[in-house]
Amino acid sequence: MKAVLKIFGVLVAAMGGYVLLSSFLAGTLPMRGTQLGPALRLPWRQAGLTERQAAAHLLSRFTYGAMPGQVDAVVKMGLENWFAQQLAAQDPDDSLEQILSRYDALELSNEQVAEIYPRNGQVIRMAIRDGVVDKDSVKADRVAYRQVIRQYMEEKGYKRQQELFRQFFCQKILRAAYSENQLQEVMTDFWFNHFNVSLTKNDCAEFIPAYERDVIRPNALGRFNELLLKTAKSPAMLYYLDNFSSSGPARDTAQKRARGLNENYAREVMELHTLGVDGGYTQQDVTEAARVLTGWGVRLREDGDFFFNANRHDQGEKVVMGHVFPAGGGYEEGVDLLNMLAHHPSTAKFICHKIAVRFVNDDPPATLVDKMANTFLEKNGDIRQVLITMVSAPEFWSAGALREKTKSPFELAIGAVRSLHATIDQPMQLYNWVTRMGEREYYYQAPTGFPDKGAYWINTGSLLSRMNFGLALAAGRIPGVRVDLLALNHGHEPENARAALLIYGHLILPERNLDATVKRLTPMLNERDSTMTTAAVEGDPMLAQVVGIIIGSPEYQRR
Amino acid sequence: MKGSGLALFGVGLMGGIPAFLAEAVASDKILRPYKRRRVMVCIFQRGAMDGLMAVTPFTDTYFQAARPTLRLASVAAGRTNPVIDLDGRWGLHPGMKAFEPFFKDGRLAIVQGIGSPNNTRSHFDAQDYMESGTPFNKGTSSGWLNRAVGLLGHDALTPFSAVSLTSALPRSFYGDNPSLAIANLQDFVLQPKGNPPPAGVAARSFEELYDQASARLLRETGKESFEAMKLLQQADVANYRPAAGVVYPASQLGNAMRQIAQLIKMDVGLEVAFTESNGWDTHFNQGTDNGIFARSVTDLSNSIAAFWQDLEAYQDDVTVMTMTEFGRTVHQNGTGGTDHGRASCNFILGNGVDGGKVHGDVATLAIENLEDRRDLPVTTDFRSVFSAVADAHLQISNDKVLFPDWSGKKAAVMKV
Repeated sequence: MKAVLKIFGVLVAAMGGYVLLSSFLAGTLPMRGTQLGPALRLPWRQAGLTERQAAAHLLSRFTYGAMPGQVDAVVKMGLENWFAQQLAAQDPDDSLEQILSRYDALELSNEQVAEIYPRNGQVIRMAIRDGVVDKDSVKADRVAYRQVIRQYMEEKGYKRQQELFRQFFCQKILRAAYSENQLQEVMTDFWFNHFNVSLTKNDCAEFIPAYERDVIRPNALGRFNELLLKTAKSPAMLYYLDNFSSSGPARDTAQKRARGLNENYAREVMELHTLGVDGGYTQQDVTEAARVLTGWGVRLREDGDFFFNANRHDQGEKVVMGHVFPAGGGYEEGVDLLNMLAHHPSTAKFICHKIAVRFVNDDPPATLVDKMANTFLEKNGDIRQVLITMVSAPEFWSAGALREKTKSPFELAIGAVRSLHATIDQPMQLYNWVTRMGEREYYYQAPTGFPDKGAYWINTGSLLSRMNFGLALAAGRIPGVRVDLLALNHGHEPENARAALLIYGHLILPERNLDATVKRLTPMLNERDSTMTTAAVEGDPMLAQVVGIIIGSPEYQRR
Repeated sequence: MKGSGLALFGVGLMGGIPAFLAEAVASDKILRPYKRRRVMVCIFQRGAMDGLMAVTPFTDTYFQAARPTLRLASVAAGRTNPVIDLDGRWGLHPGMKAFEPFFKDGRLAIVQGIGSPNNTRSHFDAQDYMESGTPFNKGTSSGWLNRAVGLLGHDALTPFSAVSLTSALPRSFYGDNPSLAIANLQDFVLQPKGNPPPAGVAARSFEELYDQASARLLRETGKESFEAMKLLQQADVANYRPAAGVVYPASQLGNAMRQIAQLIKMDVGLEVAFTESNGWDTHFNQGTDNGIFARSVTDLSNSIAAFWQDLEAYQDDVTVMTMTEFGRTVHQNGTGGTDHGRASCNFILGNGVDGGKVHGDVATLAIENLEDRRDLPVTTDFRSVFSAVADAHLQISNDKVLFPDWSGKKAAVMKV
């Protein structure tokens, strides 16, 4: 029977997933422009896993955490089919879209954002220009001053920038928790962190919501070179790494102050976005690449915010890593440069290593990275194909990969929400908890992005916060997030703490061996049962405490 | 408590230890975790402090012309709240009168004209460069204080070796060496509020589980967490009482400095501490002896002064240093403030400081002496000051690691 299923999976995969997926997608063609190519086969059985264990591993890697019952659902659907569906990323998300429609800033263009959400300094300047605030009021009464500014903003229809960011944080949390297209959200997070930009930099902050929405998410499962080019042209990146300011030499003294080469982007695009620090380039290559990319700027418009200013472009000949860019190459030579970088073997290695770190373990085997890098080069940087090579490799299913990743604070928080089927009415408190646990989303200052390794996330302070988070969530003490623990067990109340641990342990940590956990906790839970009766306190503190301990436990910190 | 220290030391042993440490072990001068250690405390003033208003060239006629309304009254003008004359040329903002005795005692040094060789006037970039310690390289993944921790010559002995009293890990602390960011020591507990009884069960359950965790990282960090938590509970951090007569400002900075003093006095192995002060980006209505800027410098100096007095017998162990990403324009702008400039000044307090002086090589503010004809030029590279303090106070002399790409001379801000 299993062999039959497997053959079926192969067949489906060989047909690009179309036959099966079409029933989900009402006829839209999935995975436009790509074929699954060689048959998708997940070699979990060879690794000695059961099908349920394999499903749990898939869910731990390509979603923000399994929901209760989801392992069964994936097994029922077929592991290959489930993965193909996640790669297609075209599942309807109606209920999520409905929740997101309550937020009015999520669809705004950069131009609209600039009109509606001016920066704080800008508002004050405008208020002074309009004579609302006295520029000489040195000893201004702060309260009155703020009130005047607030009123001025209201009259003009301006809103505080922090509100824009609040909505942006909320959408990330809601999508991660509720999207059916989990892999797309996971990859969006991965690429955002790879092409990091930061709200700590005011100049680029207002462009970051559109950056994630228009540049990262739609291309998260696309082609690497397109992703690279789109990030390079985005206002968020142009301001974050200063490339907007970089220009060719001044032609006269009047231009002198506003002119000059800025190498920041050129350096980081090689070191962090493509080749890697040992990728085979020199300082001279950085300078030459910066010259190639001069004149790339921003002009906010409805149909795109990129603007190539030929006057600021360095017209001369450049040589980057031995490749000659003849004089007068204009905008196109920048595209050529980025394409060259995107397809470089060092890039293939660097990117595939990073993907393997995210999905396999903190120190992935070189054999696996090599396979992925070969696919990256052969398939023209097709990210889906790289992921297929990864899950098709035995290394992905080996003992060294299972539960080897430490959840980031965001993964912990969202995973716990999913584990408990919690309802998020107001996501901001979750955002604040994630911050407290050490991951202030969108505020990582350096272009490296958050380090993707357990040792970065786990320290004495953050670990206690994780335990406290588990207890708070399970006890319903996170405002704006509702949990119904009894509903998870179909309304049945466990008889005692030990029973609660067994039932909820298996719901929250499917396919994990919990024997040791149960054994260690039993004496304490018995003590607990003997010292209090559940009826004495409102709600069910016993159950909440047991569930809180599961979420704060070392086992739950891993995926 | 001791168990943890020894366990950690054991890890260090396995990794191979430097010869001097082996000697120390043999001679029973082992670096014990819970003993007094020397501490470097850094305060980042975010937003770029107007160094020329904090420490003002009150006799400079060019300055007077550049700031017709935005300058402090000199003593001669007979106004109330005049500048505090430091050396006939430089005057301290009257809001910082708490600094005056330190300066007169020779424990407070000021460096005027300090800044970065990179002339960016972006807050973000300049802070990033100053905190990474590499003014021309954005890709440096570590911060200079994290590298400093790595250069202390021994493994981090406790979770409290490097602590930032901030809600998020600052750029200065990014890196592979252990460091901790915590906004409030009182949060270092399990179930801080509203916990249903019996609270102890959750805490003991966690301790039990982490003790047995199969992942070493979780097991060891868990152990440290519980020990650190118990340590802070024993010390009763919530009811800390500063030394007699010491009152910290009720501000974010005052609160952070109070907690750093707590950690120092608990002997928990603190060696590098960091916190920050906000609100220095004074484009509008900066004020003079009164107003936004005055409030900020008063908070800064009062917080540091309270901290210093609170330290009492620990003063010899501690050096405090302030930093800010750049200075502000020599000229006042059209909105009662100042715009982004180049050099600023900083303050260094400690018994090993070559104090009572305004260091730096600053010319008069004639327009031809200014950078881009508008800003106080950078005459002292921040790295020459930071490395001098780290070296003199913490014996960190490997500048190639601390500040890669820099080969300048250390500034003479510490006693030889």
